[in-house]
Amino acid sequence: MIEVYGDPASYIVVAQTLLRIFEGLVICMIIGMVLGLLMGLERNVEAFFDSWIMVLLTFPAICWAFLSVLWFGFSDIGPILTVVLIVFPFVTMNIWEGTKAVEKELVDMATVYKADRFLMIRKVYIPMLMPFVFSALRIALSLSWKIILVGEAFAVGSGVGQKLIYWFEDTRVDMMLAWGVSFMIFMVVIDLVVFRSWERRTFAWRHQIAN
Amino acid sequence: MDGSEFVVLDSISLNVDEGNFASIVGPSGCGKSTLLNIIAGIETHESHEGGSIQVFPKSGAESTPRIGYVFQNARLLNWLTVEGNIQFVLEAQKIPRDTWDGQVAKYLEMVGLEGQEKNYPLNLSGGMQQRVAIARALAIEPDVLLMDEPFSHLDEITARKMRFDLMEILMRAKPTILFVTHDLGEAVFLSDQIYMMSTKPARIFKEISIDIPRPRQPEDPVIFDLEKDLVREFFRVLEAQE
Repeated sequence: MIEVYGDPASYIVVAQTLLRIFEGLVICMIIGMVLGLLMGLERNVEAFFDSWIMVLLTFPAICWAFLSVLWFGFSDIGPILTVVLIVFPFVTMNIWEGTKAVEKELVDMATVYKADRFLMIRKVYIPMLMPFVFSALRIALSLSWKIILVGEAFAVGSGVGQKLIYWFEDTRVDMMLAWGVSFMIFMVVIDLVVFRSWERRTFAWRHQIAN
Repeated sequence: MDGSEFVVLDSISLNVDEGNFASIVGPSGCGKSTLLNIIAGIETHESHEGGSIQVFPKSGAESTPRIGYVFQNARLLNWLTVEGNIQFVLEAQKIPRDTWDGQVAKYLEMVGLEGQEKNYPLNLSGGMQQRVAIARALAIEPDVLLMDEPFSHLDEITARKMRFDLMEILMRAKPTILFVTHDLGEAVFLSDQIYMMSTKPARIFKEISIDIPRPRQPEDPVIFDLEKDLVREFFRVLEAQE
């Protein structure tokens, strides 16, 4: 492992992978949240997308990976698109269920005071959805990084995934583990440090000690 | 009459003068909360047969009256601060931003919560949360203030204090109020008019004016006597129905 991380070039590789994960994640979350919210709020939208989401959820992930290679060749888009296609249905479902679970009492209160749709979404729906957003985010992250690694291994010529397949072909288990395990540790640390503290700050209103 | 509201529901009609406190009293299930919700617009009256609702605001200029509502539970947005909650309804009502700080301070002081602006609802007691809900309703300076058994979920001691404080608040703010309760003593203590409602069919069978001058004392024997009379009246009607 020291061999790996002593070399500055390694960090570039890790950074490439992280960037792809980040991009895929952001796209997933945006699509998932918008679609989930729409599905929860509007009956027509829900009816239309309901079956499509189920289809996407059950479509074998590996097919997406190969399809993206066929369509986009060996570029960045492949893994990212794969991640998006596999993960955004999960995010959508999570947010959709969350939207339907909002407390009617608070929505009624806002309705009586004539809050318009935009204000209602900003100040009532989205804060109520935050627990669902966080759980969707954690799931999406844990799925995404594995998919990206696979995508990189098969399709793209760079990133941690590529390193894995390179050492696999060289039958160097120690190097594979060095890359694989260290990257996994990396992701766990991100989860703990970034998400937990972000979550704690978002829900500060629950834990605040009275003055 | 100048500045009065006129409400019709089926064969129910209410006439409330501006600045008056009107209570609707009746047993559970007689539809008094439903009536309030229809006025507030969270239940549609198309589901009820052949009726119409008309509320004429005192200004006459607006087509939709400004309505404030205090529910049985405070229904605050727990992720917003106390002032955030009040600002929420000010924004919903499209009230200009530069007045917000003044309104928040004024009405928090009126309900006895000055200094609590930055606190979060989950740090407040039930009574305090309900006070925020009252301040919230008053802050928009509504044409009509609807209150649906606002003290029924509080313990008796807190409820008594809140009733007394409400009376004092209303002497300063003077909104027009429609107050729903099953507690006759509460109604007599607070109201200028009481509408007594019975069930099956839902109808108002009596209207009473309460002329006791304010400030009223909760221990006043006149209030007790009046309450007893009304209770007797209720039993008379309910037994006649059986």
